[in-house]
This record gives sequence, structure tokens and C-alpha cells, in this order.
Amino acid sequence: MADLDTIERVKEIEVDKYKYGFETDIESDLAPKGLSEDVIRFISAKKGEPEWMLEWRLDAYRRWLTMEEPSWAKVDYPKVDFDDLYYYAAPKGFDENGPNSLDEVDPELLRTYEKLGISLKEQEILAGVRRQDEPSKLDDQGLNIPKGAVAVDAVFDSVSVVTTFKKELAKAGVIFCPISEALRDHPDLVKKYLGTVVPVSDNFYATLNSAVFSDGSFVYIPPGVRCPMELSTYFRINEKNTGQFERTLIIADKGSYVSYLEGCTAPMRDENQLHAAVVELVLLEDAEIKYSTVQNWYPGNAEGKGGIYNFVTKRADCRGDNSKVSWTQVETGSAVTWKYPSCILRGDNSSGEFYSIAVSNGRQQIDSGTKMIHLGKNTSSRIISKGISAGKSSNTYRGIVSAHRKATGARNFTQCDSLLIGDKCSAHTVPYIEAKTPTAQFEHEATTSKISDEQLFYCKARGINEEEAVALIVNGFARDVIQQLPMEFMAETQRLIGISLEGSVG
Amino acid sequence: MSIAIAKTPAEEVYADLDNLPDGFDDIRKQAANAVAKSGLPNRRVEEWKWTDLRRIVDQAYPPAIGGDVAAEKLDELSALSPFGNIVGSRIVFVNGVFDETRSQLPKNISISMLASADKVGFSLRDGDVIDALNLAYASDGVIINVAKGVKVEKPVELVFLTAPDQPATITTRNVIRLEEGAELTLLETHAGHNEAYVTNCVTEISIADNATLNRVRLQEDGENAIHLSNTAANLGQEANLRDFTFTIGGQTTRNQGFVTFNGENAALNMSGSYMIAGKQHADTTLVINHAVPACESRELYKCVMDENARGVFQGKVIVARDAQKTDGQQSANALLLSEGAEFDAKPELEIYADDVWCGHGATSGDLDKNQLFYLKARGIPENKAKALLIAAFAAAAFDEIENEDVREAFNELAQGWLQRREV
Repeated sequence: MADLDTIERVKEIEVDKYKYGFETDIESDLAPKGLSEDVIRFISAKKGEPEWMLEWRLDAYRRWLTMEEPSWAKVDYPKVDFDDLYYYAAPKGFDENGPNSLDEVDPELLRTYEKLGISLKEQEILAGVRRQDEPSKLDDQGLNIPKGAVAVDAVFDSVSVVTTFKKELAKAGVIFCPISEALRDHPDLVKKYLGTVVPVSDNFYATLNSAVFSDGSFVYIPPGVRCPMELSTYFRINEKNTGQFERTLIIADKGSYVSYLEGCTAPMRDENQLHAAVVELVLLEDAEIKYSTVQNWYPGNAEGKGGIYNFVTKRADCRGDNSKVSWTQVETGSAVTWKYPSCILRGDNSSGEFYSIAVSNGRQQIDSGTKMIHLGKNTSSRIISKGISAGKSSNTYRGIVSAHRKATGARNFTQCDSLLIGDKCSAHTVPYIEAKTPTAQFEHEATTSKISDEQLFYCKARGINEEEAVALIVNGFARDVIQQLPMEFMAETQRLIGISLEGSVG
Repeated sequence: MSIAIAKTPAEEVYADLDNLPDGFDDIRKQAANAVAKSGLPNRRVEEWKWTDLRRIVDQAYPPAIGGDVAAEKLDELSALSPFGNIVGSRIVFVNGVFDETRSQLPKNISISMLASADKVGFSLRDGDVIDALNLAYASDGVIINVAKGVKVEKPVELVFLTAPDQPATITTRNVIRLEEGAELTLLETHAGHNEAYVTNCVTEISIADNATLNRVRLQEDGENAIHLSNTAANLGQEANLRDFTFTIGGQTTRNQGFVTFNGENAALNMSGSYMIAGKQHADTTLVINHAVPACESRELYKCVMDENARGVFQGKVIVARDAQKTDGQQSANALLLSEGAEFDAKPELEIYADDVWCGHGATSGDLDKNQLFYLKARGIPENKAKALLIAAFAAAAFDEIENEDVREAFNELAQGWLQRREV
């Protein structure tokens, strides 16, 4: 009867517990409201971009005007008024050069990041004092990086506020900087790779992003280099009525390795805000990228008011043989999510992985999954997706696994499991499988179930209250994915799942 | 932004109201208008993503009824039915017209023909082109009613023979009703000559409380045929439907199944198998709607594709908000025997209730090398070992058929297919 009990006691959840919902009171430079060629010229000028970049943006904008917003996803939301948005917002005083060091950054901004648990300043200090740790191999190379340090690129609305550890990384030959800076300092690299994974006209939101993207991270790992520390970008939307359009480009040259983390939050507001990002990963021979995301944009309140529209295009191109890419995502935030991190397995023996936890509560709507496109020989891919829906939310896994005629020996294993908590939510699974060669071995399985009464009873009998028990069981359900997360995110994620599901029982 | 595209010859013919047969005027017009409006679906229509009907129906195929067919031809086509010794009665349609001389009607079941029925109460399934085309052009079909509590002992066979003298569309529509507690086994054979034609066969099934229908279809249409079919079923409380389709013939096959549970504790098993080669294309598209609690659905499809054949499976299981205690399991497995063969699958779950146990699995691959090695190591020659493994793969689907004689007949057909392929 515990089951009936649980269901009866399901309450409207209080997503208002979102703890990153504060607003930073800071003056901003805004582009004129709405979207036009002038606004794009404004953004491009603000960033001090080369002429070809402006042309690229304008070309994207003109294409975007002819495109229609996609409607195939299982999400339902009032359409975005693209003329009622600010496409550029930057804290006052940020011009094309930006601050050179943390000391030049507005303390209010630093406080924001501290509140979010990302102490930029502390990290820089730690970098110098943490030597008493056993000397790492990095020191041998003359690098001065403490163990476990993470280089952070902090993006606030449309600009990158600061990037830490830049100098230390440069010693290893790694370029880690805001993409606007890369456009000025490494234009050839950017020009060579930008838009080659996600073409300008790939889809409605990617094209919009191509026209108006403001900031994001650029990473280049030279051949044979194992990036000495984790790289991370923290995205924060602050200004009202703005859209955030970040663009991330990561290039892992031959035989290199990098682990990249991404986190996002936004203030609580009654209006919906748009976040349309594009992430491109390029992997050359023997390269490996591990890309982890904890997406915790404001999900809106329990009635579905406010929240971020998260329409993101993420794609990795395994161009080189033996390259490997791994996407891990924890999706707990956003009112509406539309996101399919994909792998193009072009190089022979390349492999792609997708590990996902998508937790939806309140009136959140998630339509997320992946694409594994097998083109090269002996390519392999693995998909583990765990969807958890509670409240009145809707959670959809949508993915495609395809093997081209020439992709002999392709191998895929897919498992997508859904867990439903309460009788007002829904869970959907929409996988596409296309096998064009007999030597491709594809396996797909999916299940949908609920938390069993036995599991709950067992926990409760041991003095664990219902809410904690649910968090515990869900964490167990998602364990296969959680284990893939970098240490920094693992504990955070377990806690986040607990918070996201608060109020879903009891 | 919709751009008006020119109608294909088939679309023009299907939209021409002058081609409509007599009777059921209103619904026919309504259906033909629906077809005229939507046209034939192309691959941009999600449900037809892998089966581009607009391109497949490549010439006019005007709707046709009857026509002379040589008796020897009909004998030859009838002989394709493997059910001769299993059934107790047989209802034969030739080019969409009931052929009394070749039929032996069953007793104690109410049988009538669509062509002579005055009122059946059809309604148009929204957005379903096969159904709309069928409603517009159905020339005949059987209406079977099994009365309350009647258990029909011997299986009844429906035979659809198609051999029009020029490329044409032959359309039949059947209505199967089982009243409370009734039981029936229905076997269907679809066969036709090797010239090009379209056959469109829709079957509406309603199974009342505690009634059981076992239905097995064998599709051996000609090598240039386009076979379109719909099975639309409603199940009452504790009703039971077993439906199996073995696709071996036809150039292009599209079998659609729409099953709705209307009463609790009902059970469905909808399964099938393909054994196709050359440029054959077989598509099964199912929508299983668990509208009420505590029902069970099972789907198992085993698809064997050789040469350049392409198999498609799309199965959607919907569990409504109140349909707690639903148990829905679905599985589609493909065996690709050669370079050039293809399998596309989309097993879909749409779930709105929490206390359910639903799952699906899909696999694709070639023969297991370890199994092959095991057999060869025991002195079985390679081609024989392969044949054994393929036959075993298909037989796993046939196991879903309740009638042992039918299972046996299908295993033999599978053997015949393998021999023809010289595997």
C-alpha cells in the first residue's frame, strides 16, 4: 500500500527551491532589442572581429530568415518572439580587450561566481600555494598546476568574464580562451574549423547561433598533448530579456586528450529566456575528448512559469582514425530542453559514447538523446540514457544509430531506461535504428518502470525517509552514468538529483 | 511553407471521383477527398520515413474490380496456400470479387459480403492513407460475425488472389466481429501473379469480452506487387488477439496494425516474420494503444533480409494516463545476410502512466560467427549450417503461432525459401 500512499501524497512540487535563482545587480551594455543585420554588425564590432567573420554571420542570418522553427520534438511551449530579445548583453566596461587579470574584474561579478560555488579568485591563489601536495608529473614539465585544479572560462551573459590558468595552459601549448579572443589571436585555427562540424545551415537554432553567437570557449590541444588539467566553462545568464548564444569549439589534434566540463545556471524569472548554443568538437587521429555537462538552468516554477528554453546543437566529429569522444550529460534544469549531443564516427576504429541522466520535475519538458552516425570501419558506440520524470513533466529520449554501407564492423549498444515517479508525468522513447550493412551489430533495449514498493519499503524500514529514499534509489538507477562523470561533478550530481526531485513524493 | 507539388499519375487516378465503385457513396467520397488532399505520403512524412509510398507507387494503377483470369492461373495461385489440410472452410476473392465456386462457406457463422451489404458503418481513420484509399475503392470483402459463445472448431481461410490483366489497384475490406466468449481461427493467404499491381486489404476486427481471435496471414504476392494492408482491432475485457504475419512475397509490403484495448485484462500478441531478398521491401508499422489498465501486449518480429532487401519495423506503444499495470514488451530482430541488405527500426514508447512495465528491444546483425563455427566444427558444411541458423531464427517467431500445423507449414515455407536462395 506504500505505493498508493506515495501517489496520494504527491504534491505540487516546489521548484522554487532552485538555489541559483538570484540576480546580480550589475549595469549592462545591451545591443538594441531585436534581430537585424545592424544588431549582428553591432555584436561583431563589439567583439572586434575580422571582416570574414561578419560576412559569415550575415550569411547565417540571411539563411535563418528563410528557415522555420522545428516542431517535431515532443515539447510544447509558446513560440519565442525573436524580435523581443536582446542578443547581446555584457557587464559595463567590457570592450573587446576585456580584463587582463582577475584584479580588473568587477568584484560584484566575482561574488556571483563565488555564490555559485565557483571561486575564480581562490583557484588562482591555490594555484600558487598548493605545492605541498606531492609533486605531480606536471611539475617536471615546468608546469605549475596543482593536482585537481580546473581551468575555468566564466561566461556571463554574452561575454567571457575571465579565463583562469591561461598562462599555465599555454606552457603546455594548450589554447583555452573565449572564442572572441581566439578570433583575434588565432583566426586561422578558428576559420579552419568553425562551422565544419555543425554547418551554418544545420538547423534553425544552430543557424540563429551562427548569426548572433557572442561568446563561448575555444580550446586547441596540440598534437600529443594530454591537457594537464580539466577545462571548464561556466555559463551564467543574468540580464533580463536576453538570449544566450554561446559557441564552443574544441579541437583535439593528433594523439591529444582533454576533459572538458560545462555548467550553467540562471536567475529565477517569470519570463522564458532562450539559450541556443552550438558546440563543435573536432577530433583528429588518436585524439580523445571527454565532454561533461551539468545543465541546471532555471526550470521555471511549479506552474511552468518562467525558465530557460535550452535549444542546443552539440556534435563531435571523429575525423581521425582511433579517435574517441565521450559525452556525459546531467540535465536537471531548463523549462524546455531540445538537445542531441551527437557523434560522427568518420575515422576507422573511432568510438563514441553518450551517457545521459535527464531529470524532469514540475512542468519541465525534455526532448533529448543522441545521434551515432557510423561511417568508418570498425567504429563503435555506446548509449546509456536514464530518464527520470516526476511531477507533471514530460521526458523523451530521441536518438538515432545508423551505419553507413561502408561502416563494416560497426557496433552499437544502446540502453535507455525511464523511471516514472507519480502518475501525472510521462516518459517517451523514440529510437531510430538504421543498419545498412550486415556486419553492423546493433543492440537496443529500453525499459520503463517505476520505483518499486519493495525498494521504498526496504529503505524506509531502515529509517531513511521517503524523500531521501527516492533520491537514493534514483541515484542507483542512474549509477551507470554517474560513474562516468569527472570527480568534480559526481558528488554535485548526486545532490542535484536529490534537489530536483524534492517534492516529488511525500 | 508548403510548396504545391504536381500530382503523380497514381495520385491523379486515386483522386478522380469517377473511379469510385457504387455503394457507400458518402464515405467513399469523403475518403477519396482525403486522399486527394493529402496525396500519397513521401519520406518527409514521419510515419513513412523509410517507405516512400509516393515514389513506390510509380504508375497509375487505376482501381479495378474483377476481370477474367484463366482457371489454370487461379489453380496455380490457390496452390500457394499451405493451409489446405488445416482449414474447414474457405472464402476466396479473385481480383477483389467473391468467387463462390472456389469457396466453401463455414457453417454456424454469419457470413456476408461487403458488395451486397447495405450498411456497415465505416468511419475514416484520420491521417491514414491506406485506410482512406481502401474505403474509397473497396469492391468486396467478407463480413464475419461469430455469435456469443460460439467456438468455431476448424480454422476459416480467406484467400485473396490477384491477377488483373493490366496494372491496377485491387481493394478489399473485411470486417471480423467476435461476440462475447466467441472463438475463431482465421488464416489468410494473399497471392498474385508476377505482373505489377497494387493490393490494398483492410481488416477491421472487434473482439468482445472474453472472446479469442487467432489470425495468421501469409503474404505471397507476386514479385512486382505492392501490398498494402491495415489491421485495426478493438479488444474488450479479457479479450485475446493473436495476429501473425509472414511476409515472403511482394515487391513492396506495408503492413499496418492499429490495436486499441477497450477492456481490462485483455491480451495481444502481434508478431511476424519477413524472409525477403532481391529488391524486396517490407515494412511493419504498429500502433498499440493501451487505453485502459491491466492489459498485456507482446510483439515479436524476426526479419531475414538477403541481397538488397530492406526491412522496416516501426512499433509504437502508447500507455494512456489511467492505464496502470500495463505490461507491454516489444522486440524486433533483424538478420542481414548480405552486403546491400538493410534494416531500419523505430520501436517507440509513449507512456503517461507510472505503474507500468514496458520495454522494447531491437537488434540487427549478421549470422553469429561463433554459432557457425560450432556447427562447422561438428562436421556440418557451411551452407547447411547457415541454413540451420537462419531457419532457427525465423522459427523463433513462428513459435508465437498457436496452431501447430500452421507453425509446421511456415517452417516448411522457410525451408523452401532457403533452398531457392541456395543458402
